[in-house]
Amino acid sequence: MLKAIFDQLAGLLTHLGEKRIAILNLGGMEIRFDIMAILMSWVVIALLVILALFLRRGLRQPVTEKPSRTQAALVALIDLLKGQLAGNFASERLATMMFPFVSTIFLYVLFSNWLGVLPYMQSPTQNVNITLGLALLVAVVSHVLAARFNGVRKWLKSFIEPYPFMLPINLVGMVANPLSHAFRLFGNILAGTILVTVIMVKFAPIILPPAFHIIFGLFFGGIQAFVFALLAVAYINVAVEG
Amino acid sequence: MQEAQAVVSGISGADIALAAKYIAAGLCMGIGAIGPAIGEGLAAAHALDGMARQPEMQGALLRTMVLGQAITETTGIYSLLIAIVLLFVV
Repeated sequence: MLKAIFDQLAGLLTHLGEKRIAILNLGGMEIRFDIMAILMSWVVIALLVILALFLRRGLRQPVTEKPSRTQAALVALIDLLKGQLAGNFASERLATMMFPFVSTIFLYVLFSNWLGVLPYMQSPTQNVNITLGLALLVAVVSHVLAARFNGVRKWLKSFIEPYPFMLPINLVGMVANPLSHAFRLFGNILAGTILVTVIMVKFAPIILPPAFHIIFGLFFGGIQAFVFALLAVAYINVAVEG
Repeated sequence: MQEAQAVVSGISGADIALAAKYIAAGLCMGIGAIGPAIGEGLAAAHALDGMARQPEMQGALLRTMVLGQAITETTGIYSLLIAIVLLFVV
């Protein structure tokens, strides 16, 4: 029986980094899908929606009533997110406006990172396309907000500040920010997964993996989700206020 | 003559490429981790200095420290990605 476990674990290592790709042919154009990443990302979305619907039942509708336990916990959570994430926005108006967006990103990335701890599951964030999509979303939102808050002229002018010859550097920065934003999350999660798998297969298949899952999956996953959301706040803030 | 010797010793070009790949991945990670480690240590040290001086600022200092460390870490993540590419993709 032990041998069967070891064989299954060795299978984990040989299939590490392999992807199940579905190819859609659209008249000469090939579109490739990573089935596992899409499936896992839908699992995360379903988890979040079910959790939201479930927690909603705990709310008591007239707010003046004594809050139930779920309600008190949710209020504490929202206060924490408001203080830690939205508190970094420069203006109150921007904070109220962007709080739902930023905390949604935080919750999605957090659950994505934590999903990899469960057996037979995979973090969607260990696929670079998903993190790149999130980072691009943040970049586009920050530029749109900058144009909306300060006017298109001032937004365009921000590319030639402080001097016109800085234009190429500003353009490179515009591309490099989302790239580093995405690669940071992707690299951390992928490295954690690879490390846990290698340790599980090669050194200690029985006792150590739970500890490593707690460190690399739950702890670093939580920190990386927080950092991802915090950097989204910082990028939006710099684009609008800077 | 030289080819015959290579066949006898059993080392082919693919073996050398494989060995170079592993050495390169190890060097990439080992050297690439020095900079971020020093940088993150400096950030943590100065944040601790600040917290010891003004304990009431702990929340803001911790947040800024984590953010700065995440940005410092980027270069380390780049070398990690290159090591992963060397090991699994190339």
